[in-house]
Amino acid sequence: MAAPARKSVEFFYDVLSPYTWLAFEVMCRYQQKWNIDLKLRPFFLSGIMQGADNRPPGMVPAKATYMGQDLRRLTDMYQVPFNMPSNPAEVMFIKGSINAGRFLTAVDMNCDQYLEELTRQLFLRIYYRDEDITEPASLMAAATKAGIPEDLAKQLLSTIKDQAVKDQLRQTTQAALDHGAFGSPTIVAHIDGKPQMFFGSDRLELMAHMLGEKWYGPLPELAKAKM
Amino acid sequence: MGFIPVFMMYAAGWRRSILKFSRSSKMAALRSRKVVELFYDVISPYSWVAFEVLCRYRSRWNIDLQLRPFFIGGVFKETGNKPPGLLAAKYAYAQHDLRRLADFYKIPVKMPPMERLMRRENVNSNRLLTAVNLDCPQHLENLSRELWMRVMSRDQDISDPASLETAAAAAGIPSGTTPQLLGRIRDDDVKAALKDTTNQALAYGAFGAPTIVAHVEGTPVMIWGSDRFPLLAHMLGERWEGPLREMAKY
Repeated sequence: MAAPARKSVEFFYDVLSPYTWLAFEVMCRYQQKWNIDLKLRPFFLSGIMQGADNRPPGMVPAKATYMGQDLRRLTDMYQVPFNMPSNPAEVMFIKGSINAGRFLTAVDMNCDQYLEELTRQLFLRIYYRDEDITEPASLMAAATKAGIPEDLAKQLLSTIKDQAVKDQLRQTTQAALDHGAFGSPTIVAHIDGKPQMFFGSDRLELMAHMLGEKWYGPLPELAKAKM
Repeated sequence: MGFIPVFMMYAAGWRRSILKFSRSSKMAALRSRKVVELFYDVISPYSWVAFEVLCRYRSRWNIDLQLRPFFIGGVFKETGNKPPGLLAAKYAYAQHDLRRLADFYKIPVKMPPMERLMRRENVNSNRLLTAVNLDCPQHLENLSRELWMRVMSRDQDISDPASLETAAAAAGIPSGTTPQLLGRIRDDDVKAALKDTTNQALAYGAFGAPTIVAHVEGTPVMIWGSDRFPLLAHMLGERWEGPLREMAKY
């Protein structure tokens, strides 16, 4: 008897978004539990904000205060290693993520077997160890920890300003906008031939219900990111 | 046979001890109920979701649910936040999101046009809820639900006194009481109470609706939105058992 076809779940994301770190870890845990084909789609959050005419939530002071508390409580409960950067405004609004997005794109185009772990290592830099993710040396360090051979990492890093890589990042960003995205993460689950877009890290139980899968909570026992 | 009366006396003694124990632990449970305040506005669709979920969990969790009708307009003004539905991409998403949540939670919520939600006179609803909370709080839950059914399911007005009269009747408020309650909308003490409740939410750090404040071991924990119930359960030392559709009022 043939096994039922895996449902495709596209995970559009930018490592600049702290709630995306939560959603990413939980979705990676559920890869083992659900009959899904999880496709990581690195995009450019700044492009999403522009395309949707949106603003980062942290620009409302009372919201920014709340987000800090909310992230601390959720990451504790989900067992995701997390520390807010010492200067979140600088990290999120000034330094940004264009190089990281392009590097993730280059890896996705050439050796996507490393994409998950590279994503994890970049999140650990920005949202656990308060380390830079914009400089080439930072991206190399993340690549090494992700197990990408040094020569390959250097070669991919040299391509991040290539038109092909820029175009691919732009296309992925546009694909998310076409699904109605206005932030990160944007998860598109293909259910009964229809794309269902879910925004954020707090629709996973609902998504499970629609996928016909069982929700077990955040599954901290399956944590891959170690402190 | 002698054994049976002895056994029955023995069992009766056990029963008395068990009753005494359960009464005292009921008392202990009542004393230790954790207060959970729900600050809500009927023009907030996600407030309806939070309201129904907390009403369902009132009998499952050891909580004392306190309904706090407030004025989201005042919160937006004070914090510089804006209604999310004013952004086209967010409004479109809210329509899909609420349709799916309606199925998931079995609540007939449907995003109305923003024009319906942005009417200045909607504050009459907030004031009516405040008056009911002051004068006859036993009707607060039903009236809240009926106002949501109007504005957030049938796209009906909730700003005009005639609309509010219809809602009050549908909520089971005696027709003799209604004219007086509607008159209270203009009273200074009602306006002040609405402002006061709104300021309490702001003091907890609110910037939107719903705002849930759980009092855990003497500390208020503020949670925003209708999608943190598993976290709320965790903080209350309770278990999240999902949407509990079987308890839906619809």
